Amino acid sequence: MFHVSFRYIFGIPPLILVLLPVTSSDCDIEGKDGREYQHVLMISINDLDTMIKNRTNCPNNEPKVFKKHACDDNKEGMFLYRAARKLKQFVKVNNSEDFNLHLSRVSQGTLQLLNCTPKEDNKSVKEQRKQKSLCSLGILLQKIKTCWNKILRGSKEH
Amino acid sequence: MDNILLLIKEGEFEDAELDDYSFSCYSQLEVDGTQHLLTCAFDDPDVNSTNLEFEICGALLNVKCLTFDKLQEMYFIKTKKFLLIGDSEIHVKLGGKNITSKKLNIVEIVKPEAPFDIRVIYRKGANDFLVTFNTSHSQKKYVKELMHEVAYRQEKNENDWMHVNLSSTKLTLLQRKLQPDAMYEIKVRSIPNANYFQGFWSEWSPTFHFRTPEITGRMDPVLLTISILSFFSVALMVILACALWKKRIKPIVWPSLPDHKKTLEQLCKKPKKNLNVSFNPESFLDCQIHKVDGIQARDEAESFLQDTSSQLDESEKQRLGGGMQGPTWPSEHAAITPKAFREDSPFGCLAGSISMCEALVQSSSRSPDCREGGKNGPHVYQGLLLGPGTTNSTVPTPSPFQSGILTLSPTAQGQPVLTSLGSSQEEAYVTMSSFYQNQ
Repeated sequence: MFHVSFRYIFGIPPLILVLLPVTSSDCDIEGKDGREYQHVLMISINDLDTMIKNRTNCPNNEPKVFKKHACDDNKEGMFLYRAARKLKQFVKVNNSEDFNLHLSRVSQGTLQLLNCTPKEDNKSVKEQRKQKSLCSLGILLQKIKTCWNKILRGSKEH
Repeated sequence: MDNILLLIKEGEFEDAELDDYSFSCYSQLEVDGTQHLLTCAFDDPDVNSTNLEFEICGALLNVKCLTFDKLQEMYFIKTKKFLLIGDSEIHVKLGGKNITSKKLNIVEIVKPEAPFDIRVIYRKGANDFLVTFNTSHSQKKYVKELMHEVAYRQEKNENDWMHVNLSSTKLTLLQRKLQPDAMYEIKVRSIPNANYFQGFWSEWSPTFHFRTPEITGRMDPVLLTISILSFFSVALMVILACALWKKRIKPIVWPSLPDHKKTLEQLCKKPKKNLNVSFNPESFLDCQIHKVDGIQARDEAESFLQDTSSQLDESEKQRLGGGMQGPTWPSEHAAITPKAFREDSPFGCLAGSISMCEALVQSSSRSPDCREGGKNGPHVYQGLLLGPGTTNSTVPTPSPFQSGILTLSPTAQGQPVLTSLGSSQEEAYVTMSSFYQNQ
């Protein structure tokens, strides 16, 4: 009898934990009226765009950036959360102070407006480390901009 | 009891300390390039700020907290690391120990920079003053939209400022709302427009002084002359219009329908002033009217002519002779005897053609005055009035014609012509058809 109870105590709970589906809860977005985005974040995104265009000539074909994540309906918050975290990867020492500050402002500001509690995804972290070129950053910033516009459009309609 | 009293006193002392360290802050964004400035100061100027430090934590980029710098009694921090989203905490520390704290948002305590370069230009054509000024925030990225307040007053009126709020950097002041020939001073300040950035009024701009022009009592002489002339000309036109309305203006503007009888009278009056032309039979009461019974022979006519030849003018004789010789004399000179005739007279002189008028002239020229003619005996009436119904009248053929007097028998062959004529004055016209039909 004892060895049977041990099996149930120590065997089944880990199984349950492994078999439980990974539930990723979406985020609450605080800045839906768009004031923070229009007066602060958008200015930094535009400045970064200008700086990137001045420094590099990006090819027309879009590199594979953040392909696995999209600003889908009801998942805009999670997309922005992940994109904002990815932005931190682009902060480098050899960038100018203003460049890094704008990056930090977009990243930190976006995270401040989101209330997310997702799980860490090790694969996505590795993927983020691979793509650090300025052209990738430019594309990521455009995706963040597009997703914010989608959120604001949706809030206006409601 | 003593212990309790001591505790109360300590509590009072602590409250007083906290009140002493109340402070207020304001922020200035992009004050030096991309750097922002946050300035704090104690509300009580008597606070001993020695060893007191200010620290800001939260809503900062890449750092957790930043320490203020001190300049005299002011604490400030100049940095690019403000996140500009979310709240921060300002801590007042004494020896590392937190004395007081305050939660605030950097974007809600923004104090704009003071406007500058205020100018006032007088526009003579528009009779107003154009006020313009400049602000450094038009070049900034964050605090771009401001609300401005312009204040102006007459220099001698202290504390009597007029205020105008505007969002642009141009203002128009009407001349009529200002005192003439007076010295004015004007200044402007700004505040964030409360869309996202809020805060306090900026400092006033430097004051600008301007003088309003005098109101000249004299008008432009050319303008004055033109206005006087136009006034008098208008007055003259009004007087003339009133005076000449009935005689001249109204007949042109609202002409009356012409009366054929009056027109004919006027036409006939023109050649000879002494001509007695009228369609009124009463004016010819003095004339003797003889009935014409038939066409008489030339001899009788000549005898009549001889009697009255002394009264004819040369020109009249020629005309008469020429008229009598013409084969169409009866048609042309189917004269119209004056309308005025006695009631029993079959003749009537009614309106007709000008040729008839001429014959009338001729006939009456022989006897310019009926009264005179009456003295000389019977008259020769070469004029003969025939109506449209003169089918039965005995009239001579047009050619050959022997001069004479056409007479009509008023009683021959039915209805006399003139009676028919007399019955309707409008129908008393001589027509050629009447001559031919009676042949």
